[in-house]
Amino acid sequence: MSAILEARDFSAWYRDHPALCDITLEALDHEILGIIGPASSGKTTFLRSLNRLNALLSGFRVEGTIRFRGVDIYREDVDVAVLRRKLGMVFAVPVPLPGSIYENLLLGPRLNKTKTDTDALVEKSLRAAYLWEEVKDRLPQSAFALSGGQQQRLCLARTLMLEPEVLLLDEPCSGLDPISTAKIEEALVELKRELTIILVTNNVMQASRVADRTAFFLQGRLIECGATQQIFVNPREQETHEYVSGRFG
Amino acid sequence: MRRWIKFVGLAFTSLTGLACLIIVAMLAIILGNIAVHGWPRLSWEFITGQPRAGMTAGGIFPAIFGTAALVLLMTLAVVPLGVAAAIYLHEYAWQGSKLVHVVRLALANLAGVPAIVFGLFGLGFCIKFVGAGMDRAFFGGALAFGQPCILWAALTLAVLTLPTVVVATEEALRAVPRSYREVAYAAGATRWQVVRYVVLPQSVSGILTGTILAVSRGAGEVAPIMFTGAAYYLPYLPVKLNDQFMELGYHIYVLTTQSPDVEATKPILYATVFVLLVLTFALNLTAVLIRSRIRRRLRAG
Repeated sequence: MSAILEARDFSAWYRDHPALCDITLEALDHEILGIIGPASSGKTTFLRSLNRLNALLSGFRVEGTIRFRGVDIYREDVDVAVLRRKLGMVFAVPVPLPGSIYENLLLGPRLNKTKTDTDALVEKSLRAAYLWEEVKDRLPQSAFALSGGQQQRLCLARTLMLEPEVLLLDEPCSGLDPISTAKIEEALVELKRELTIILVTNNVMQASRVADRTAFFLQGRLIECGATQQIFVNPREQETHEYVSGRFG
Repeated sequence: MRRWIKFVGLAFTSLTGLACLIIVAMLAIILGNIAVHGWPRLSWEFITGQPRAGMTAGGIFPAIFGTAALVLLMTLAVVPLGVAAAIYLHEYAWQGSKLVHVVRLALANLAGVPAIVFGLFGLGFCIKFVGAGMDRAFFGGALAFGQPCILWAALTLAVLTLPTVVVATEEALRAVPRSYREVAYAAGATRWQVVRYVVLPQSVSGILTGTILAVSRGAGEVAPIMFTGAAYYLPYLPVKLNDQFMELGYHIYVLTTQSPDVEATKPILYATVFVLLVLTFALNLTAVLIRSRIRRRLRAG
């Protein structure tokens, strides 16, 4: 398997405050890369650096490179809109937009003026997000009428509508019940066949359940990255061991 | 000691409650007084007729028409400018930039300028400078726009209401959660698309409401139009941009201060004030209705 995304000596600052320090990490084709670590360890900053969403914040500064399929994404001539479509993102809190379920799904196609058969894509995306059976008869209803777990799966489906090559998930199950969480995890394992997934999670067990490889972040640094099995059973670093065994968090 | 604390608490509750009561009472007294005295004089003939006999008889139709035309023109001028400026300030400009700082400072100061100064500004800048210049350039020196008229009055009022419109629009834009914008950006939206597909649809009710309230506030101002176009009495309605016009607020001022027969004018004065208030409340009510309607539609999805 080859690397689809590679960070090399990547550092980032919010104004003078360092958020990431010399991260070198790669995501391989068709894997789920879990990123774990305590609060403010830089995992979300790293994820939002991958689709340049942090560039919206004034005072955000980066050094080093991140390459997507070999192209440095921080190069001047990179079309950010195209990049963000290829690296779809799901946020920690479900953010359905006001409007119907259907309109929510159409967000991406509408922005990108794609002429593909959207209805087929809607069904495919909803099925992939394990939501089709629950909403197929109520697509014109408000997205706010869905439960929290359904809303998050709708957000996943909305992102899948972009037909991305990489899914960036920022603690997608943080506010959800175990059943919804299980559904999303099942969906992710299925989706791995088609794309690459980077899963930032506060829930160490979630990483151990679904991630192929796991990276452990602490205070803006990458402590170690390896096969999930190895990270959980036989970590190289003392800090990793303490974190995955729940001694600090 | 305990009894003292209890007493202070009770006194504070009563005082704050009384303050609220006074607000309601003031409005009730003003409205009641005007309604009681104005209502009997109100008739179809009063609303559709011309003033007669030196303002001691007849109706106020020219003033109603003039007010409507003035407000419409002002709205056409101020809304595009104010909304565009607010969108730039809130969505495009980098918040730490000098430009944003200067624009906000200008707006705050503009909002603090007394209305009469706007009137003089309209006279000096719009009429004597721009208008007279237009006459020299396009009309061979003949008097066309170098005089008080509805165009300059509307533009002067527009400058007066501009800060309110910008602030109200910014308020509405700020109410759109950042997460909505992020979702759109993450889906590959450009800045313009975020504004077009997410921010504006979400804020249009707030923008409309704020704008209507700003406009209705401006509609009652007399000082800015005194020197820039409002007329004491006109036998015709304004149909061209450089016509003068009668206006309700100014008409009230005229009735109060310039009447040859105070007692005969009094009922007309009351009725005119009543009409102005009704029109203003109608505008405010429209704002509220639009807001609730759009809110309902958004919720229904």
